[in-house]
Amino acid sequence: MASVRALSRPTRGLPLSQISRKTSASSRRWASSQAAAQVPLEDLEDSALDAPPLSEEEKRTFRPWKRQADRKFALPSGRYNYHAPKYDRGPLHPVQPLSSSEPTARDFVPGPFNLPRLRQTYLSTVASDIMTLTYSHVPPGTPKKETPQRLREWDDSSPYHKNRSLRAPRGAPVLPLIERDINFTNIPEIKEITLAAYSPAALQDMDNLLVARAALLAITGVLPEMTKTKSNVQQWKIRAGEFAGCKVTVRGNEAYEFLDRCVNLVFPKIKDWRGIKASTGDSSGNLAWGFTPEELKLFPEMEVNMGMYPPKMVPGCRVYVKTTATSDRQARLLLQSMGLPFYGEVKN
Amino acid sequence: MPKLPTSGLQVLRRPTTSFTSTPSITTSPLLQPQPQPHHHNLLQVRHATFIPRHRRPYKFTQLVQLSDGSTYTVRTTSPLALYKSAKDTRNHILWQPTDKTLRNVEVDEAGKLAAFRERYGRGWDAEEPEQQVEQQQQKQDAATKQQESSDDPFDSLVGLISDFAASTNNNTSGGLSAKDQAKKDKGGKKK
Repeated sequence: MASVRALSRPTRGLPLSQISRKTSASSRRWASSQAAAQVPLEDLEDSALDAPPLSEEEKRTFRPWKRQADRKFALPSGRYNYHAPKYDRGPLHPVQPLSSSEPTARDFVPGPFNLPRLRQTYLSTVASDIMTLTYSHVPPGTPKKETPQRLREWDDSSPYHKNRSLRAPRGAPVLPLIERDINFTNIPEIKEITLAAYSPAALQDMDNLLVARAALLAITGVLPEMTKTKSNVQQWKIRAGEFAGCKVTVRGNEAYEFLDRCVNLVFPKIKDWRGIKASTGDSSGNLAWGFTPEELKLFPEMEVNMGMYPPKMVPGCRVYVKTTATSDRQARLLLQSMGLPFYGEVKN
Repeated sequence: MPKLPTSGLQVLRRPTTSFTSTPSITTSPLLQPQPQPHHHNLLQVRHATFIPRHRRPYKFTQLVQLSDGSTYTVRTTSPLALYKSAKDTRNHILWQPTDKTLRNVEVDEAGKLAAFRERYGRGWDAEEPEQQVEQQQQKQDAATKQQESSDDPFDSLVGLISDFAASTNNNTSGGLSAKDQAKKDKGGKKK
């Protein structure tokens, strides 16, 4: 190419008409094909693959670690590297924080590193099984069932009742969920699992709190947050607003792994375990159970480092499994298909 | 909670678009009278939100081997590379109800247990259907009567013990919740 460029340089001063007249001659020149015919691959950069292999002598003298040790001046340290901004100063600030998906962002969390076994099972079999199990055929053209109005109306005894929003139901300020039919868009799945440990002994000895936190951290792999007591009770020697427990919420893959560990490794080890009480549930698809301190120690993460936890300080904990199911019936179906047995009377 | 920077030197002010109302921009800050920091110490100005780094433990990839030999990997805080489980869903009667080897069947090849029962009765058995107990009791009664007639002090004592055990059935070794156990104890006392 260099030669072509060199040829074209003197012609730059000429007017365009002259050049075009020259090139439009019958002896037209094809620069690229000429170059290819003369020296193939000459213009390519040097390839490392073409380099001759190192001789034994060269290999012996190649010692990068020696060069590093002999270096007089230190290379620039990490503080010359790019650091993501520490503060979010609002959308109008010229320095914007990085998205959390950027590896250099401060709130970047790497992963996911695996697809948990239970989630694989859910995706491949459980979800479609539940959908098939709960299918109820509705002939096409059937009119839709209208949900009854559960909110009370105002009795119009006062002129101020006009245009008021409807009254809440009697007794409960919150409407319970209405069970939805399961179709391919709303197959119940596990939303999150919350573990909560309450150790009132922490009011006397703060070490209890530390042990509770370490235990939940080991079990779930997520740092728990501390919780405070709600009320004053003289007999129990608790005062409101003091740290007395911790809780942690796991979502996504971690929730599935935690449930898998409970079902496959912990529950079978509990002596004379019959299952989870079927009466559990808040009637809107969230089920719960509890672990005593002895049962908590059966987790493999606790077992492996039992010396870390003073035996009398290990707390029990409550486990709340929140699902996207709209009724306890559906939530139980989901957990049963994941291998969780239930016993006793069913409430709702 | 993310920490919020407290700024003592700046006046709490909503961001405004009209630049004429902000004298600090047009004039040098050196010429401005600096407000006293202690006046504004109580006010927290949210000019910036701290972006916290995530605090999370290191997670290892662990190979879990169930009791039937099947393996799978998990991400866990436990540093063990391989976790071998002795008791899990694969050898638990609740999950494997058809597996006959998991049933609680008495192995009595040498007949020692049978011999023991023949001599001392079934009063020591942990759990037993009540009909069998009654039958055994009747047998025991008959046997004790015979024994009494033969007037052997040792055998009569053994019969007494076994009778007591069968009647009270004080089974305290697990299998029941505290409530059920209390109920059972109460019922036994009434009898």
